[in-house]
Amino acid sequence: MSSAKADIKVEIKRRTFTFKVKRYDPKTGGYRLSEYKVEVTNRQTVLDALLKIKATQDATLAVRYSCRMGTCGSCAMIINGTPRLACETKPFELGTDVITVEPLSNLKPIKDLVTDMDDFFEKHKAVDPWLIRKDEKEQFEQLDTYYPQTEEQLLNYLEFSYCIKCGACYAACPMVFLNKNYLGPQALAAAYRWSADNRDEGYVLRLKIVDSDNGVWSCHYSGTCSKVCPKGVDPALAINLLKKSLLTGKPPAR
Amino acid sequence: MGMVAKSTLMKWHYITGLILVVVVGIHLAFRWPSYEASIEWAGPHGVYEQLMNIGYMIAIFILLYAATYHAMNGLRTLLLELHQGKYWNIAVDVVIIIVGVFIVIVGTVALVGALLTV
Amino acid sequence: MAEKLSTKRNPPKWSLWFKGLDEWLLIFQKVSGALLALYLIGHTLVISTALNFGHPTPLTWERIIGLIEGPQVIGNVHFGAIIEYLVALLVAIHGANGVRLILMQYFGLGLPKPERRTYPMVPSPMKKPQVIYKYLIIIVVVIFIALASYVAFIG
Repeated sequence: MSSAKADIKVEIKRRTFTFKVKRYDPKTGGYRLSEYKVEVTNRQTVLDALLKIKATQDATLAVRYSCRMGTCGSCAMIINGTPRLACETKPFELGTDVITVEPLSNLKPIKDLVTDMDDFFEKHKAVDPWLIRKDEKEQFEQLDTYYPQTEEQLLNYLEFSYCIKCGACYAACPMVFLNKNYLGPQALAAAYRWSADNRDEGYVLRLKIVDSDNGVWSCHYSGTCSKVCPKGVDPALAINLLKKSLLTGKPPAR
Repeated sequence: MGMVAKSTLMKWHYITGLILVVVVGIHLAFRWPSYEASIEWAGPHGVYEQLMNIGYMIAIFILLYAATYHAMNGLRTLLLELHQGKYWNIAVDVVIIIVGVFIVIVGTVALVGALLTV
Repeated sequence: MAEKLSTKRNPPKWSLWFKGLDEWLLIFQKVSGALLALYLIGHTLVISTALNFGHPTPLTWERIIGLIEGPQVIGNVHFGAIIEYLVALLVAIHGANGVRLILMQYFGLGLPKPERRTYPMVPSPMKKPQVIYKYLIIIVVVIFIALASYVAFIG
């Protein structure tokens, strides 16, 4: 099968994969493994396969998804041992015939592959992830002014603003596993993203929560968060830059 | 430890770390050319000669204090990361301070005494 | 929102952490740090005892050190010397990796500047500066092993 354009040949291959889905059962409080065989093409993703399973084989499979194009962060799950977005992972590119799918670690499960993101979002809120100005009314009353920013000032925090809050870094972090109160790579990267923004004046407000045992100092640079981030946010870099500001006393990127 | 910000504790941890790289390097360098000769009392590379070397002894004093801070703060960090509850945290703080002060006192007494009597 | 769940969190995937060098370095730093802290306590006590707590004599020194060093094991190298050799090795790796962490977190050396994304996306632990750091650590440790082996066994 080839596409309409004469010079592009799109080859569609089909194969049957076995999906081993680890599902949490809220009635028993335990996990069980469900095995499904489903045929997918080389253009389809793990999310497509799970929805096909839901439609044709097992309607009780609970999966969170929304945009199915890698921008909402809903479908993060552990695929073949690594936290990934299901809509951005193709079974053909994984290299195995058996694909294991599990819910994200370090989060409480609700049912099957769905996890409770409350803790994750509370930690995110705790670092005040919004633009803080000394004059609180400025953004609502002085509507004819704007905050100028050069390209260089934008680049200081741009990479960290791509976070879609999917929770993959949180699931991958060994310190989140060891310390239940650790803020986590996402919250700390968000704290850095807002503190490094030249328009923000609230760095000192975030200091207390960030400069604590449950803040940056629980991070020991294992780097797993950056390795699994689907958007290339690099939380490990953000946390190290934050530590540098805390140790030297200079606000970030000024 | 509610009085001192964690970043101050860690700043000194890193500063003593860098100092330690230098002084431990000196301490190990004085084992050259033979380890066995450097732990005998007498002899050209022996302990007596090392005690007479004022520059080396200053390095040893710096080593004692920097290493005690670095080791105690490091131990405290990794023991607190075991997260065993409130009483564990208080106990770790108390024990660390006691052990640290003990090491500093014992080491200082031994070294100062040795320098004065030899 | 619904009431707080009392279920336990999903367990982690250990396989994800076993294949990363940074994860092993983190564990090594902690374990070697604990061992070295204990060694510091022991070493200070032994040397202070051997110096007779401020009134050193050659006799007390030789007796205590002779006791600690133990019997001769390889050639004329004592058992204690071998233990100290291994401790020195731990110091070298802990120190080299520690210097990497300090330079990174205090001075920002080896941290890439945040920039616009390029594809393929390379996370900072895999970027060039970090790789250079790790090779430097290996070189430093190898040189250290060579020197230490000479001092301990040949000198």
